[in-house]
Amino acid sequence: MEEFMHRALQLGGEALQAQEVPVGCVFVVDNKIIAESRNRVNETRNPTRHAEINCIDLVIEYCKSKNLRHDYFQNITVYVTVEPCIMCAAALNNVGVKEVIYGCANDRFGGKTVCDVSKIYSNNYSLSGNLLADEAMALLKLFYKGTNPLAPDPKCKKILKE
Amino acid sequence: MALDSAEPEPKRMKTSNKIEEKLDEYLKNMKSATWNLTPIVEEDLYKPIPVVQASVGIIRDPKDISKTILTLNDKVPMKELQHLKRAQKKEIVICPLSYLNGAKIEEYLENNVKELKEVFEEFKVCDVPSRPPQVRKQFEESNKVWPCNFHPNKYNEKLVSGSFYNEQELKTHRQYMEMVFEVTKFYMKGLTATNIDSDKILRNLNTCVVVDPSIQSVVAVCFDNRLKHPVQHSAMLAIDNVAKTQNGGSWVADREKHETIDSTLRGIDEELCCHLKEKFPQVKFGAKKFKSKRDMSEEELQGNDIGPYLCTGYYIYLLNEPCVMCSMGLVHARAKRVFFCFNNSEFGALKSKVKLQTITALNHHFEAFTGFL
Repeated sequence: MEEFMHRALQLGGEALQAQEVPVGCVFVVDNKIIAESRNRVNETRNPTRHAEINCIDLVIEYCKSKNLRHDYFQNITVYVTVEPCIMCAAALNNVGVKEVIYGCANDRFGGKTVCDVSKIYSNNYSLSGNLLADEAMALLKLFYKGTNPLAPDPKCKKILKE
Repeated sequence: MALDSAEPEPKRMKTSNKIEEKLDEYLKNMKSATWNLTPIVEEDLYKPIPVVQASVGIIRDPKDISKTILTLNDKVPMKELQHLKRAQKKEIVICPLSYLNGAKIEEYLENNVKELKEVFEEFKVCDVPSRPPQVRKQFEESNKVWPCNFHPNKYNEKLVSGSFYNEQELKTHRQYMEMVFEVTKFYMKGLTATNIDSDKILRNLNTCVVVDPSIQSVVAVCFDNRLKHPVQHSAMLAIDNVAKTQNGGSWVADREKHETIDSTLRGIDEELCCHLKEKFPQVKFGAKKFKSKRDMSEEELQGNDIGPYLCTGYYIYLLNEPCVMCSMGLVHARAKRVFFCFNNSEFGALKSKVKLQTITALNHHFEAFTGFL
């Protein structure tokens, strides 16, 4: 289990290098990684391109190429460094993965912590957290020390400068 | 075959109709609507303010009132009941009953504010409003329970007034919603279903039109692709198409589709685009020219506002209430307002199951409106 989370953390590190919110994710079937990705929000200028969504895209491509139906998602265990946000929690429900294991909790957008998405869907994946949480949190802290390079300057910041 | 039955079978009730006709019916009703749109806000704005019990003392000598209030504000500040006026004639709120922990009020004073032990001639328990009133109606009702402070908020009053938009604005919003229906019709062309089934079909897809109200122009138009790709609901596609107008984006449309090459309106099918322009000759299409810190030099940026940034300031028009995934996607995209026509009782996240726009913990909040039909 830890080896998959280590790989996800590595991908999160790549995100940090690319000045993205450092979240990484791997999709695992039968102890094999079948898709892996990281946050690509700034790169694509699309705020929904979280690591999980990117992995879902890869699996859909994979299914298409192998002529598999989308119920293939039922075999997937997701390892993600940070608790999936409300959007990703719902997306993982839409595709119907088997299990989600995350590193640290997500106090800002968490699909369990901020708004419990599992209460809305009837067939839920099993969700557990706290696997290598400190490492995941350390990555986030590194990022939030810096600032988002693409965001417009907030007005209050300008006033402070003067 | 005709010889087998002497009489033709009576027409079955379950006749199939074109889904387009069903949509036309809705369109007709929407065009003749005379009512305002409904802002979807937290229930608290409409409901009477609940009460909580508080311990109240009756002052012996009215001369002591101001001194007592000052002392109490200092020693028993009542953080959660700051909206209350401390005194009502000779009656003074000492504290919420919960502060006493079952003790008598006399004991509480003895332990916490000894100097006020003698100023009250008797004590009682009163109901007081538990939260600050947010709108005038609540203020007036709350005042009958106990006098409150009230800071009128024009926006809140507008939300509950039932007349949020003026005639001209309503016309504009209905026009963009008509476009949502027109796009849906375009993709439902030729499909037939029974009345019940066509409603089912229409509830299990979504159509999205994105507008930049600052230039009154359509910047994205998307129809659902969830059957082929479970994440490609129309709002998610729209967010990506908006990204494409900002030199980003990640989904490549089906090859058989002929996308426009217009960089200010990406991802829209050429044929649909022509159809909409013909159907809505008064509507403008295309996003503002995109300027970014990443793509421009310091000099080029001088005096130029950067943007647009994601869906900041944009209005999103949807056929159905967006699901949890799409709603949160729109939060991430920083949309300004979301309009929808039909409730999504199963997965709707702006009204039916939760109201994401009212979750204060989130970093962005758009406004949501419905009530087109």
